[in-house]
Amino acid sequence: MATQTRVSHRHVLDLDIFSQNEIEEMLDTADSMKEILSREIKQVPTLRGRTVVNMFYEDSTRTRISFELAARALSANVVNFTARGSSVEKGESLIDTVRTLQALGADIIVIRHKQSGAPYLVAQHFAGAVLNAGDGWHAHPTQALLDLFTIREQLGHIEGCKVVIVGDILHSRVARSNIWGLTKMRARVTLCAPPTLIGPTRFWKANWPELDIIYDLDAALEGADVVMALRLQKERQQSGLLPSLREYNRYFALTAERLAELGDDVLVMHPGPMNEGVEIMPEVAVAPQSVIETQVTNGVAMRMALLYRLAS
Amino acid sequence: MRYFIKNGTIIDPAQRVATIGDVLVEDGKVTRIFNLTEIASEQGIVGEDVEIINARGCMVAPGFTDLHTHLREPGNEHKETIATGTLAAAHGGFTTVCAMPDTHPTQDQASVVRQIRQNARRTSYVRVDMIGAITLDREGKLLTEMIELVEAGCIAFSDAGRPLEDPAVMRNALAYASILGVPVMTHCEERRLNAGWAMHEGAAGIRLGLPGYPAAAEEAYIARDIGLAEMTGAHLHICHVSTAGGVALIRQAKQRGVHVTAEVTPHHLTLTDRWVLGSLAEDADTHATAGGYASNAHDSAGKRVRLDPTLLAPYDPNTRVNPPLRGEEDVAALIEGLRGGVIDAIASDHSPHAITDKAVEYGDAACGISSLETALGLVLTLVHRGEMDLVDLIARLTEGSAQILGRAPSSLRPGARADIVIFDPDAPWKVDTSTFISRGKNNPLHGQTLRGQVMLTMAGGSIVFRREDFGTNADHPPQVSRLDGILTNES
Amino acid sequence: MTNEKQILSAEEIRRSLTRIAHEIAERNEGVQNVILVGIRRRGVPLARRIAAALADFEGQQVPIGQLDITLYRDDLHMRGPAPLVRKTEIQADITQRVVVLVDDVLYTGRTVRAALDALADLGRPMCIQLAVLVDRGHRELPIRADFVGKNVPTSREERVEVRLSEVDDEPDQVTIVRSE
Repeated sequence: MATQTRVSHRHVLDLDIFSQNEIEEMLDTADSMKEILSREIKQVPTLRGRTVVNMFYEDSTRTRISFELAARALSANVVNFTARGSSVEKGESLIDTVRTLQALGADIIVIRHKQSGAPYLVAQHFAGAVLNAGDGWHAHPTQALLDLFTIREQLGHIEGCKVVIVGDILHSRVARSNIWGLTKMRARVTLCAPPTLIGPTRFWKANWPELDIIYDLDAALEGADVVMALRLQKERQQSGLLPSLREYNRYFALTAERLAELGDDVLVMHPGPMNEGVEIMPEVAVAPQSVIETQVTNGVAMRMALLYRLAS
Repeated sequence: MRYFIKNGTIIDPAQRVATIGDVLVEDGKVTRIFNLTEIASEQGIVGEDVEIINARGCMVAPGFTDLHTHLREPGNEHKETIATGTLAAAHGGFTTVCAMPDTHPTQDQASVVRQIRQNARRTSYVRVDMIGAITLDREGKLLTEMIELVEAGCIAFSDAGRPLEDPAVMRNALAYASILGVPVMTHCEERRLNAGWAMHEGAAGIRLGLPGYPAAAEEAYIARDIGLAEMTGAHLHICHVSTAGGVALIRQAKQRGVHVTAEVTPHHLTLTDRWVLGSLAEDADTHATAGGYASNAHDSAGKRVRLDPTLLAPYDPNTRVNPPLRGEEDVAALIEGLRGGVIDAIASDHSPHAITDKAVEYGDAACGISSLETALGLVLTLVHRGEMDLVDLIARLTEGSAQILGRAPSSLRPGARADIVIFDPDAPWKVDTSTFISRGKNNPLHGQTLRGQVMLTMAGGSIVFRREDFGTNADHPPQVSRLDGILTNES
Repeated sequence: MTNEKQILSAEEIRRSLTRIAHEIAERNEGVQNVILVGIRRRGVPLARRIAAALADFEGQQVPIGQLDITLYRDDLHMRGPAPLVRKTEIQADITQRVVVLVDDVLYTGRTVRAALDALADLGRPMCIQLAVLVDRGHRELPIRADFVGKNVPTSREERVEVRLSEVDDEPDQVTIVRSE
């Protein structure tokens, strides 16, 4: 196992190794799962007797609950493990924790970790399947897939759509996984951020030559079908990456005026949790164009689809 | 004991030549060299008490000098000891290692230095030279007693792995060093520019979402220290230069006549930040800009010389090193700098770690590579790819480092201390870190096939390493040079 | 070398389905309360054909549904990559209705078992009946069909292949294939 260095399709650690067809299959499966969630009995027996461990090394209420509901809808046993109050505080290493969970009979590990790459370490030491629920700045594949699912559901297609991702791109796992997913599905992706929150653009272009990177939000938004705002952590201002939240809000936030320019058919998305009044104004979050709540609902169906895929 | 090394190709790095010939070693010294025309007359020399070492097909060179070795003893014997570290050095062809002072206690006072030297005399397999700390406890504040440390045997000063942040302290250290005639070895890292870093700031780091260590964080520091060296007239030595911009700064400083020297590690010369991608580098190939080595994957004889990052898992902590593995343009500039003499020496920066230091999340992993045992095989890829001449390369492992330490040119001349390495520049071998002599198994080359292997190492006239029963078959006749196409300087 | 033998022609399939439609109407004294649910994949077009036949002679359009039983299978862990999950769509509430499950071939009974579980999650039917085009025997569960197009004795080494023009792009027929 430790000699296995290729990333197996048995895990979902990022979207980078999946083809357009594989991603489409995942979205189709989520479509079927969404039907189950509309039933009175929102549960099927598929993963009965399997154990899903939610390993959360970083606080995240919504993602953890979404995964938990998804696992329960498939009748899996769910165990929640958080770093706080666990053996981790006693200094147990990630690898030892994984070995212990394996010995206890875990079939699927869902991991959230503040360090980029941690899920790859887990995958190397775990015989079951690993699902990345967000690692550092690196990847958040389930979020990207539910975003793709929502776009496809709302607009009917992804190919050819212009998607603008605005905000703290540099530190965003949501941005990176969405860039993989959107470019594989042949959407046109535009990134917009202050220069300190994206870094040297040539490094982005080296990975994804098709990206557009524009610093002026109004110019970036021209002709957009989808706008995705990213959460801005207030610490970024304290660490000197931003002069002020006020200026950020003025030049990089989704405001009612900008929304009016975009028209009625645009989709406004946000991975949550929102900092209303910083990267998105409260009235935009609840505007008719906003599908932020739909994203949350679709998240459960998407995660069911992935757990189902991983269980086989 | 007397040894007669026959049938090898003798490399004299000081004179940049390689010739067929035999070497006689007596009482720890080289006593005679026989060139091709004299070989016929050697019969009378060989008596009963001479062991003949048949070096047929191999290079015979002065033992390598490593300017930058972390031996870990005292204080971190679970990572390495003087005994295991120096035996690993012998396996790598090194006959002198310079011990970095990041030990516990640190080498910041004469009594500690004397004590470690004494331990080294007892347990080491090769010569150990001591590098003194620049500041007390390597804290960057108060200068150590540098005069006394030199008296106690220190041959250079360094705060080992830590940048000297206060430029005034650096200035004072250089001023002292200038009267002592020893180099100040500087670790160039502007830590306000790479806070929280995990790898090089570049395309791979953006993809992997790992906080970056930009090239400028090294370059800014090199520029500062060169300015201070110019002001004080002291000998500044830049440790493990890793960036194209750093090479350019050193080149300009040398042209101005600043007394600056530089070293580069085997891994910075050959591996890039794409190694952190591991198996993910496979599809990144399609995006990679021109200048990769894929087109050069075979040498003229059709043998595979390509190092393959996809043998690693993504985020392999063994690729984490300080400074980080850099971009392809940096690697190209480092090779160019080494070839043109801007970079004086290859140094291992051997940094052994315990398994538990590395078996963690990438950003938490200890920095460093246990590199002594793969150093030669790794740098020889430059020769196999036709990017560097073999004799020049060996000069950077011998002559270059000796000059930095103010020593006589490394050479196998009569009267010289018999520090000798015999290596086969072509022998393929698969790196298996579990067989390392070093206690540190942390090396990203595990599983790679390298070409070029040390067969025998002699330190002060004693054989400290011998691969199996190398050289015991003495019946072969001398053979003609097999270096055609490898040596360009031989004329 | 394979050996393929036709057991039902297109015409025989048509006649079998018409007969099944009549039997359904007869057993349930009309079709007022009946809902036809096809098991994906080939049960779905069969359910449609039976509904069309019923509409012909009963003059009444029976509601149709399609059921995907993938998530109810008991052999997920034994198979290779996860089979695609399709949507389950049923036009009407099944509670207090007579549900007639429709599938192409009845073999071990495990698919029907999964379908029964799936239906139970969707509502509480008054009763569930089973209609199949071919019953080839070898049951592993206590399940039997209420309406059978043709009983065909087979060996386990043989395969029964059903071709339906709607999903297979080929003329209707049922064959037995024996690998040699």
